[in-house]
Amino acid sequence: MNNFQQTARVGLFFILGLALTWVTFETLRGGKVFKDQGYNLIAGFTTLKELKDGDEVRMAGVKIGEVERTRLAGRRAEAVLRIDHRVRIKSDAAATIVMAGLIGTNYISIDLGTDAAPDLPDGAEIKTQATADLNSVMSQIGDLGKKLETAIGDLSGALSGGKDGKTGIIAKVDLLITENRENIGKATANLQEITAKVNKGEGTLGRLINDPKLHDELVTTLDEIKKGAGEAKNFIANAQKIVDQVKAGQGAIGALVFDQKAGEDVKASIANLRAVSDKIARGEGTLGKLLSDESLFRDAQSIMKKADRALDGLDDTGPITAVGVVYQGLF
Amino acid sequence: MSTASDVTRNPFTQTESPAVGVTIEGLSKSFGKFEVLKDVSFAVKPGEIFVLMGPSGSGKSVLLKHIVGLELPTAGKVTVDRRDAAAEETRESVRMALVFQAGALFNSMTVYDNLALYPREHRIGNEASIREKVMHALQILSLENAAQKYPSELSGGMKKRVAIARALVMEPQLMLYDEPTSELDPVMSATISEIIATLKDQYHVTTIVVSHDRDLALNIADRVGILMGGRLVFLGPPSELKEPKDPRVADFLHPRIDLQNPRFKQLET
Amino acid sequence: MRQLNNILEGFGSTVLLLFRSIGYLPTLPRQFGRFIEQCYLIGYTTLPIVAILSFFIGSVLALQAGYSMQNFGAKQFIGSLVGLSMARELGPVMVAILLTGRVGSAITAELASMKVYQEVDALQTMNIPPVRMLVMPRLVAAVVMVPVLAIIANLVGWFGGAIISKYTHFIAIDPPAYFSALRRFMEFKDILNGLIKAEVFGVGVILVCCNIGLNTRGGPREIGASVTRAVVTSLILILVLDYFVTKALM
Repeated sequence: MNNFQQTARVGLFFILGLALTWVTFETLRGGKVFKDQGYNLIAGFTTLKELKDGDEVRMAGVKIGEVERTRLAGRRAEAVLRIDHRVRIKSDAAATIVMAGLIGTNYISIDLGTDAAPDLPDGAEIKTQATADLNSVMSQIGDLGKKLETAIGDLSGALSGGKDGKTGIIAKVDLLITENRENIGKATANLQEITAKVNKGEGTLGRLINDPKLHDELVTTLDEIKKGAGEAKNFIANAQKIVDQVKAGQGAIGALVFDQKAGEDVKASIANLRAVSDKIARGEGTLGKLLSDESLFRDAQSIMKKADRALDGLDDTGPITAVGVVYQGLF
Repeated sequence: MSTASDVTRNPFTQTESPAVGVTIEGLSKSFGKFEVLKDVSFAVKPGEIFVLMGPSGSGKSVLLKHIVGLELPTAGKVTVDRRDAAAEETRESVRMALVFQAGALFNSMTVYDNLALYPREHRIGNEASIREKVMHALQILSLENAAQKYPSELSGGMKKRVAIARALVMEPQLMLYDEPTSELDPVMSATISEIIATLKDQYHVTTIVVSHDRDLALNIADRVGILMGGRLVFLGPPSELKEPKDPRVADFLHPRIDLQNPRFKQLET
Repeated sequence: MRQLNNILEGFGSTVLLLFRSIGYLPTLPRQFGRFIEQCYLIGYTTLPIVAILSFFIGSVLALQAGYSMQNFGAKQFIGSLVGLSMARELGPVMVAILLTGRVGSAITAELASMKVYQEVDALQTMNIPPVRMLVMPRLVAAVVMVPVLAIIANLVGWFGGAIISKYTHFIAIDPPAYFSALRRFMEFKDILNGLIKAEVFGVGVILVCCNIGLNTRGGPREIGASVTRAVVTSLILILVLDYFVTKALM
């Protein structure tokens, strides 16, 4: 073999080596040597987690640059981002560290920001948001379980009497009925009396039946009541929606389930309810008057029926069911 | 053609330069506890052929290596052209060429490349002038046809001639031959002797030949030295060797084959 | 004691040889032909065996990793394992071992025979330093060619692993998944690390082989002994150096 051929082969071989090195470099570093156009942004975090040099920077999922360097700056960690010069980043855009998989590379995600905000210049610092990493999510789920347990414990305590000797709701309702048996009896008697009066044509209702002039008014009133019932239906529908939201873990009832303070509020509301029912029993207040006022009796009756139906509806979708749904949804 | 014996003529450029002399003063050399050379002193005059003789293992080749600086003396001094032979600079200022016993040709190179190595490595002339010089050296030794052969393709005598040609290309002021006629048939030995004498006659190169070839010594030497057991036992012109006074020298030069009383039975172990 | 002395002497003369070779670097243009010849021997002619061996090393790595990882469902990391092992460890070590076997032994044999047949002495009488002509071009050729061999070994090994991962029934990982796993845990630093290692090994092996060859004394029988010694010393050196270089680069 002559010298020239040998030299040529060695040269070719060496070029092949260089090319392969370049290819691996391209593959592993995303080719920083030749595409170094762009500008730098600094993102400060309390922790960079698994982020390392060369990881991607994405905006709305599209790669726009990479992490050029990670460094410790005083009491925080900084990532120097190299952003493609064609991409402008708004000053109100925020950077977060996102995990690409359970065990895998992280990347920095930058949101789009708003149109009105000015562009960030080279070397500027970008706003950042801390995000939960896997470890903190795990520990939060653990906490959540504990809170749920306490909340459910509180709830059952409130319903059936707590450990601290306070009377539970069911016991209280029971008590309410027992204590007011006499009143209820009286009310029933009154009702009978009223019916009798109506039969005799006495009182508003009596007159109503006998007086054709008032008939029209009654019809109007009943229409209004019907309207009210429609609204009650809407209310139920809304309640359904709220339950759905609870299922999704949103809204006030969601909070209620986990919040002890809300539990207290519920207790207080129930106490108020008892006070109101007491007043009703004594014939005080609007409802008491309603009951004693024969003219409004029928209206009341029909409202009661509607309310009954509404309560039936609520029965299916009560807070306990909601807790059940949340519970099932989580585990 | 100048006949002055103190001037060396370059075989290629025909320019003349002063011939160099070699002096050896009180040279001793030991390898470990084994003493090879014991207080050897002699001088080689510029432009002469000095033949160093002696039995195998007497230290001739070691002495030769001291002259070219391959070995360093344990005691004493070797000078070439009044410079210390052990110093690196001496080999740069005095051109010495050693023709090794086995030729020591570079087996991985052709004959041509063997000869061209020295000028190429020392950047003497361009490729064309190197080619001219190499071909001239091969021509002097009638080796033109062997230029593109590898040493392994050559016979023993040709190898020696190539080795001499390679030494010639160095344009030496001092030529050293280590056993140039060993392992050769008598005719080839005579040829080599003729070459050595011719080179000396034509170019007046100071020549030191280490050999135990009696014919070579008696025919071409200006002076002869005989080493025995690390000591110089004879120094003088070859004519004195015809009737040696020292019985050891006489025995060395004209050994009798005595089957009744063989020498190897007397050798010390 | 004598043995220890020999080891120290060998070590010292090897280091000295390195410095002397570095000293002769400026004469490289004069040795260019020899340099190219050595490049050809060290790089070009060693390539096929490097490629074949690294292909199978990569394959076996993938196979073994797949076999042991299938039990706990970590198969998707085969790419990372093969990639990192090849780049950081097996590529450089394998290239160095092949270099010892294929080039180092030849160098020792050649230099030892040159020494035994007095060619080295002849060079010295011609005032041509043997180190300049015999050692320096080989060393530079190794410096230039060994990283090339190492990077080829890496890539071929990776592909070997990828092919085996796809066509082995209990692994069955597609090349894209394999290579994405490979990229996920690997940086260019790891490749560079391996190349530096290969470079150190290459220089070490060539130096040891040259040194042992040039220090051969005696007759032709010593040539064989020198080759054996050079190969054994080089192999030990590679693995010892491997530990220290790995440690130093961490």
